[in-house]
Amino acid sequence: MRSFQCLMLALGVSLAASAAERYPPVLPGKVITFPQDTGAHPDYRTEWWYITGWLQDTDGMERGFQVTFFRVRTLLGEDNPSRFAPTQLMFAHAALADLDRGRLLHDERVERALAPLAGAEEGRTRAWIGDWSLVLHEAGHYTTTVNAGDFGFDLRFDPSGEPVLNGKAGWSQKAPDPINASYYYSRPQLAVSGTLDIDAHSHAVSGQAWLDHEWSSEILPEDASGWDWIGVNLHDGGSLMAFQMRDRSGATMFNAGTLVEPGKGVQTFSPDEVRFQPLRWWASPRSGIRYPVAWAVEAGTRHFEIEPLMDDQELDSRASTGAIYWEGAIRLLEDGRQVGQGYLEMTGYGERLRM
Amino acid sequence: MLLLHSLCKRFRPDAEPLFSGVSLAIKPGECVAIMGESGVGKSTLLNCIAGLETSDGGRIELEGQRIDMLDDDAWALVRRKRYGFVFQAFHILPHLNLADNVALPLWLLDIDTATARARAQKMLDAVGLGGRALDAPNKLSGGELQRVAIARALVHRPAVVLADEPTGNLDPDRAGEVLALLIDTVREVGAVGILVTHSRLAAAQTDRVLQLRRDGLHSFDVTGA
Amino acid sequence: MIRALLRVFVASLLGRRLAGVLSLTAVTLGVALGLAVQIIHGAALDEFGRGMRLLAGEADLQVVGPRAGFDDNLYLKIAQQPEVRQASPVLEIEARLPGREEKLRIYGVDLFRVARVLPMLMPVAEDGAGRLLGLEPGRLFLSAAARESLELANGDLLTVQSGLRETELLISGSVPGAPAGQAFAVMDIASAQQVFDRIGVLTRVDLRLAEGVRRDDVLEQFAARLPPGVTVRPPDAGVAESSGLSRAYRVNLTMLAGIALLTGAFLVFSTQYLSVVRRGRELAFLRAMGMERALVMRGLLLEGAALGLLGGLLGVAAAHGLAALAFALVGGDLGAGYFAHVTPSVRFMPGASLVYLALGVTAGVAGAWLPARHATAQVPAQGLRAGNDSELLAANARWRAALTCIVLALLACLPGPLGGIPVFGYLAVAFILAAAVFGLPGAVGLLASPLALSSAVLARLARARLTAAPGQVVVAGAGVVASVALAVSMAIMVGSFRDSVDDWLSKVLPSDLYVRASSSVASGYLDPEAVDRIAATEGVARVVPVRYDSLRLNDAALPVTLIARPTDGGDALPVVSRGPVMDDTRPRVWITEAMADLHRLGIGDHLALPIAGRDAYFVVAGVTRDYARQHGAVIVELNDYRRLSGDHLINDLGVNLAPGANRDTVALLIRETLGDRVVEISLPAQIRAISLEIFDRTFLVTYLMQAVAVLIGLFGISTTFAALATSRSREFGMLRHLGLRRRDIGRLLALEGSLTAVVGVVIGTFAGGAIALVLVEVINRQSFHWSMDLAPPVGAIVGFALTLVVLAALAARVSGAKAMRGSAVAAVREDW
Repeated sequence: MRSFQCLMLALGVSLAASAAERYPPVLPGKVITFPQDTGAHPDYRTEWWYITGWLQDTDGMERGFQVTFFRVRTLLGEDNPSRFAPTQLMFAHAALADLDRGRLLHDERVERALAPLAGAEEGRTRAWIGDWSLVLHEAGHYTTTVNAGDFGFDLRFDPSGEPVLNGKAGWSQKAPDPINASYYYSRPQLAVSGTLDIDAHSHAVSGQAWLDHEWSSEILPEDASGWDWIGVNLHDGGSLMAFQMRDRSGATMFNAGTLVEPGKGVQTFSPDEVRFQPLRWWASPRSGIRYPVAWAVEAGTRHFEIEPLMDDQELDSRASTGAIYWEGAIRLLEDGRQVGQGYLEMTGYGERLRM
Repeated sequence: MLLLHSLCKRFRPDAEPLFSGVSLAIKPGECVAIMGESGVGKSTLLNCIAGLETSDGGRIELEGQRIDMLDDDAWALVRRKRYGFVFQAFHILPHLNLADNVALPLWLLDIDTATARARAQKMLDAVGLGGRALDAPNKLSGGELQRVAIARALVHRPAVVLADEPTGNLDPDRAGEVLALLIDTVREVGAVGILVTHSRLAAAQTDRVLQLRRDGLHSFDVTGA
Repeated sequence: MIRALLRVFVASLLGRRLAGVLSLTAVTLGVALGLAVQIIHGAALDEFGRGMRLLAGEADLQVVGPRAGFDDNLYLKIAQQPEVRQASPVLEIEARLPGREEKLRIYGVDLFRVARVLPMLMPVAEDGAGRLLGLEPGRLFLSAAARESLELANGDLLTVQSGLRETELLISGSVPGAPAGQAFAVMDIASAQQVFDRIGVLTRVDLRLAEGVRRDDVLEQFAARLPPGVTVRPPDAGVAESSGLSRAYRVNLTMLAGIALLTGAFLVFSTQYLSVVRRGRELAFLRAMGMERALVMRGLLLEGAALGLLGGLLGVAAAHGLAALAFALVGGDLGAGYFAHVTPSVRFMPGASLVYLALGVTAGVAGAWLPARHATAQVPAQGLRAGNDSELLAANARWRAALTCIVLALLACLPGPLGGIPVFGYLAVAFILAAAVFGLPGAVGLLASPLALSSAVLARLARARLTAAPGQVVVAGAGVVASVALAVSMAIMVGSFRDSVDDWLSKVLPSDLYVRASSSVASGYLDPEAVDRIAATEGVARVVPVRYDSLRLNDAALPVTLIARPTDGGDALPVVSRGPVMDDTRPRVWITEAMADLHRLGIGDHLALPIAGRDAYFVVAGVTRDYARQHGAVIVELNDYRRLSGDHLINDLGVNLAPGANRDTVALLIRETLGDRVVEISLPAQIRAISLEIFDRTFLVTYLMQAVAVLIGLFGISTTFAALATSRSREFGMLRHLGLRRRDIGRLLALEGSLTAVVGVVIGTFAGGAIALVLVEVINRQSFHWSMDLAPPVGAIVGFALTLVVLAALAARVSGAKAMRGSAVAAVREDW
């Protein structure tokens, strides 16, 4: 689901809904196969690979990080034999939540897909823009490399279990109208190892991460204003994904979730089984936008609270992609005890997204 | 025979005449000196006689013909054929040799080159510079230059020779010699000679000395006063 | 002391205003012309360079190839090099706009990359549109200047032509970073490749290097790795290329200005000389009073310097005015067509202004030097004596010096150019002029001797005067010699050039009609199908297709033009020389003279041409003439080119008519077949007329300069005679006493004047002929690398010479009128 408002703004009018019928529809019943479906699905309108997680360096310092590769099929220039034809665009975004700074560091890349400079391969995850990349290796682990302006990382992710299919066997409904849906699987509980470069220092880091891979053709419903999403690795080896779509009044118009509990298997929630309740609001000193940075989340029978690693994890890329949202590392508490670490994404609290 | 009859000269039409009533008759071979105070118009009288200035009354007759009424070009022709000049400052053309300087009036009369050359040589012989015909003028002394000028003034056998202070630029010894030469030569060719001078010594060598006053020419005794 | 010098000497300039004003004018003109040429080209080049630099942005290096471009696969390889931080692909198109006169430069860029290398090319969509609007096909973004000149607004459609196809592009926004005055458009590179049928082609890749990477290292490494015909260079190398393009022309103009200045110096010399002659007694008196020789010398030089300084200052001011005028009237390239897109403005150039000011002062001092030396060499007592100018005006024949100069001039013709500039050629010109001036005194004697045969008194007098005072002729005639030499040499050179160009044009335009879609640099072309259709048109006997491209043979040299056409074994070409290359199996290539010179090639040599990214080997079969392409061209057989390149497009098509076919009918048929808006059909006569018109416009400025130089030369005669007439009034007075009429004196002066002019003109014409030879055989050959057949316009030169003699006689007579007017009585009196 992830910050695709970036794409929306970036693509502007060219992606008018009228073009929707030229994309394949996202329908339930498709069988998602691995590793085939970890690769790109260029026929679909949008697709992203999205890794979030917590890193701990040898000094015990904890940081949140995020790296995303987006693919967009533009429907532009599909009849143009030029290798530069902008049929597929690639976006990448990376951010680092550093307590010392008290806010996010982030950077992004945009290119048209043009091998070997940028692209997303079919058959097995490989998305890259220049020297930024995310790759699923045959051995089963992922690696990512990011060289941003003031930070960079080179990380390896080792999955501890099978991919988790969200929604109905990977068909994830986003709104009351089932046309707003995506194919969506997650890889929680990725063991992270590698190096993080920040302030001209290289740190050996380890930690836990989460990968989402999602592709769809129909994006936000007309009347949606934004959404809240969490993906949390539970300390007991389980995982929790939950989101809510809000309407223009701020009320919940749809929500869903997936909980994995060791030994109990995968539990997917229907809209009435998930509830998001804001607990604490934080106002950005830069944009003035207020975000509910602490939440109470009900998922099935369990009741969690969310506390951010730090309040200021607002991401302001209005100057480049035009989006402003909150995306940051969080702790998941249950009965006042930390049960997991993950990421929270909140969009639509500032200006109404421009469609 | 040169005849002046009641010549009169004004500088402006309404002005008092510079001189008037100037009458004079000079026979060929006769040399007349005209003296007078500075500013009385001696040179002007000479210029009138030569047609270089026009007179404001009276007549000039040369050999029985009136010439005072001629226009500029006709005067130039008269001067070319009938007049010879000797100037105080010699006016020998520096870029011609002596013979050519002397031959210049002959060239003007379209006399063929050989004849002109022979006659110039003869004139140079006459003034004592026969051996230096091909010399450039800048090698000559003042007295010698004036001899060349005399030769030039007489080479074409003019009827009138006008000399304005011919010895003014010469030392007394040279002056005497040159003057004697001029007068002798004028007599020899039978011309009318008019000499304007300040020098009594010079005037004394001529046949007749006249003094120019406002009211005309008066005979003047050089030896007196 | 300076004050004394100023009062005694420089103040004397005020006393002779006419002569002063004339020599001042001469210096002013020389300085103004020379500096104006500098300013005009400086400003045009600056503007051109500024545009190029601005448009090169922050790029560290550029990869460039032939004009037709190179495989865009190369871009992918370059972009991945570790030394390269960012690579930005560019496809530059000179788009023909059907129905419009102007062409539009369009940069096809990658919107995602251009901002980091060339931010000024970043297009911005119209208000409210998405940021990536530009990715849509057919969207075009205009710079403010282009928007203005094309009178287009957002939402308007602009028709562009590719080949014979018209495409409408939608004006969708602006290029806010575009430098002011730069008219161009930007579109997405994919769209550009598609619209202009250049799929797979780039013309440029702009590079920013990774930190810590040395530019020179990359230059070296890349140069070795890039395919043939593609090279990497710093962005400002393009500026140097354009500078080199116009340098030869500029240098030639500057030489003309130099001669104008030299003529000015001669004129200062004349007036100073005469002034010194006239002031002989005054100067002698100053010496007698106790002023030492050096001081008098300094004073006289100061006069010259003052004239030069004043003339220089006026010249600097006039130069800027002239430059502004030239920009307004003929444009920044003085009509030569080198900087077509540039609209420069006049800027004060302090450096060049100072240099030319110094040249003006130098001309003044140099002109005053010889007269000053003469004046101070005189013994005072001699000077105090009654004026005798012919002593000062005496001059000896300098045959030996003249001969030495001629030998030196011959020697100077031997070496090649220095840094592309024919320095020694110009030296030869200077020696020829010096020889002419040294030869003047002697020539006076020779040329005046026929007068000895005449017994007419005026002829005798004139001859006597001129032979006894040849200095007078030198003084009056030196300016004439210089200006006549200049005018005659330019006339011969330009005449021969024009003749040869005309001849060449008729050889290269043998067909009855010429069809093209646009000039070869722009986006129109004919495809084989269109060629076939034309060939099949009724009344067409044969078509001669020509394809153009530009090739980079090595990194240093300028690109050369490739012309692919049917050669008929060379018979169809304006061949200068050819040789048997029978036993060579390689395909033949004919090279132009410039190519032979610049790349040191001869018949039988082997030549590798980078065609389609690969070196193809040819043997040079002959050398041809080409007045259009200074940097060389190679002509290959069209079939060879097509085989090697796979390129079957055509730029120009010559159409030979079948016997009896009507030209206009066929032209009309072709127009109907291909579309009236997309093709240009010209007749050889039209092309020839246009070419010759351009030629004449190019040389217009040289005609103007000749006229000015000749005018200056006549000034010389006029001032000399005016001054001499005054100093010779006693002589004239005496002659009047002897019976010369006023008009005889006038005729004498006219005779002397025309004799002086005859001497000056004859010597000047000989010198001019010699200089023309140097111009044709040395200077043009070395600057432009083309030969021409000498075709002196004899009639025009004779007419010009006669006119000049008559004018000189008039000038002398008019100037001497003062002497004729003066009273003969006053003139002979000692104390006037």
